[in-house]
Amino acid sequence: MFERAVNVFWIALGVATAAYSYTIGLIGVSGPESGLFPFIAALIVTGAGIALFGSARSRAAAPVYPRGAALGRVLGVVGGLAFMAVGIPWLGFAVAGGITMMILLRTVEHARWWESVALSVASVAVVSWLFGHVLGMALPRGPWGW
Amino acid sequence: MEAIGGLLTGFSVILTPTNLYLCMLGSLIGTLIGVLPGVGPLAALALLLPVTFALAPVSGLVMLASIFYGAMYGGSTTSVLLNIPGEAASVVTCLDGHQMARQGRAGAALGIAAIGSFIAGTLSVAAMTLFAPALAAIAIRFGPPENFGLMVLGLVCTLYMISGSTLKGVLMIAVGFLLAAVGIDVVNGQERFTFGFINLTGGVELLAVVIGLFGVAEILSNVEEIAKNTVLATRIRGLWPTLADWRASWRPILRGSGLGFFLGLVPGGGPVTASFISYAVEKRISRHPERFGKGAIEGVAGPEAANNSAVAGSMIPVLSLGIPGNPVTALLLGALVIQGIQPGPLFMVQRPDLFWGVIASMYLGNVFLLLLNLPLVGLWVQLLRVPYRVLFPIVLLLCVVGTYSANKNAFDLWVMLGFGVAGYVLRKLEYDLAPFLIAFVLAPLVEQSLRQSLVMSPDGALILLQRPATVLMLAASAVLVILMVHRNRKAQGGNR
Repeated sequence: MFERAVNVFWIALGVATAAYSYTIGLIGVSGPESGLFPFIAALIVTGAGIALFGSARSRAAAPVYPRGAALGRVLGVVGGLAFMAVGIPWLGFAVAGGITMMILLRTVEHARWWESVALSVASVAVVSWLFGHVLGMALPRGPWGW
Repeated sequence: MEAIGGLLTGFSVILTPTNLYLCMLGSLIGTLIGVLPGVGPLAALALLLPVTFALAPVSGLVMLASIFYGAMYGGSTTSVLLNIPGEAASVVTCLDGHQMARQGRAGAALGIAAIGSFIAGTLSVAAMTLFAPALAAIAIRFGPPENFGLMVLGLVCTLYMISGSTLKGVLMIAVGFLLAAVGIDVVNGQERFTFGFINLTGGVELLAVVIGLFGVAEILSNVEEIAKNTVLATRIRGLWPTLADWRASWRPILRGSGLGFFLGLVPGGGPVTASFISYAVEKRISRHPERFGKGAIEGVAGPEAANNSAVAGSMIPVLSLGIPGNPVTALLLGALVIQGIQPGPLFMVQRPDLFWGVIASMYLGNVFLLLLNLPLVGLWVQLLRVPYRVLFPIVLLLCVVGTYSANKNAFDLWVMLGFGVAGYVLRKLEYDLAPFLIAFVLAPLVEQSLRQSLVMSPDGALILLQRPATVLMLAASAVLVILMVHRNRKAQGGNR
């Protein structure tokens, strides 16, 4: 069922991008326009999507989707990354990374509080030192300057 | 003669303290990445790519290349000691390498893997030294139609070699093309698929896509089931193979070297395919195939030689033709493009320092790896004791740093997350992501070649049938498509 929904997504994506590419222009007086290449790609996406929708043989054998604790761990990682994406511009790398890591260690790994805090602080410090200091990359800083 | 002169140029470039240090550092990082399960060479290269932007192009490329072949070396350690492949090309090493470890011969398995990798790596770089300039000399005569034909052939070869459904592979290529079309059209400056969103005008960031698809998606797959590492041996003894081990291994090493090199050349081939085919060949020609899977040293020597040899083989199409055959070389190509360098037939003439510098660094890198791998095996064993549940949050931090540092834009983090989830779901549905990445990197070149070809001739698309080399490459692509259809029908018949 889920795979069929994905196939419908491919068909919709292909049709929508083909229509949009057509509006950009396919062939003009000076030759191919910006829309030609994505139009061809969109047609292939649509065709392949339709073929996959109709082909039972191309379906994944028996995809195992996460449930229970496994699903919690997957969502924990996704949530942690989303928090980082939101938090980094406001809190800087060190604080956003530290909080995310601590949450992941507590929820996904079920580590003890002191272990989570120690590992988070140590990891963020090492990564910040390695990338920010040794490799000279400008890591995002929070309003407190780090 | 030209090759020797070029190689001397390469050594003059590489024999500087900075480049030597970066080559050694890359080899070490690569080995570390190969050793640690759950961190593949592709994700690692993507994470470290921003670091190379601050370096001179040759230094950056040397470091990235050394990470690639270092990872091939390191992968065997995890396969032998944990029965978990450090990276995909070491999957088959688990079969006999781990059995050898169970029999108390972990040292011999690791030793033959390292020495075999060194021999294969050196032989294949020597072949690369001779072969790459010859290929570039032919390709230098290519115009846009030939380039288009070559890239189509490369993509069809990739499709032919992928695991799983060909239809899904075709779809992934087309989606890669579509995604690459986002941003400003370089030919006429028109915006495409940006919908007025300023973050998309520069296109979708390659690093965010790669780290998402191959880093975050890998973590999501791994956290589903967090297994406990059980290292078989705490102290590794007897790394130097015995005379009997040598007798059994030298032929598989040589065969693996040749096989790996040629499979590396083929788009879609590369280290993973090479190791599997080498194992199959060794088992087939063995007088005692029943020993395979029970600790046959040939089952370690051949595949380990093949996967290292394939690294040099797979570098040839990128450096000589500008066509990547696997995701790692696609990323290397992307790294060069970001630095304003376009590999291809003219690369050797225009940037001999880079072209020959990379080749020369691979000779040295192989020596570094042998020197690092055997004495440091105890350290790698200790590293394997770090549980994945502790490792993955650190890898996540690295993913964030790697993605953010490319453009200093938090939007890229959302792109990374989106592709991470997409990669995780698509893996569940048995989509091979390699064609997507190769198409995404190649798309601007394919589009440019196609558009230039169509403008070149008043006959439009017929120009593709008027150039002999293009016709040959498109015909070869058509033959491969027919073979794929035939193979699929045969498989369908077999399933009934």
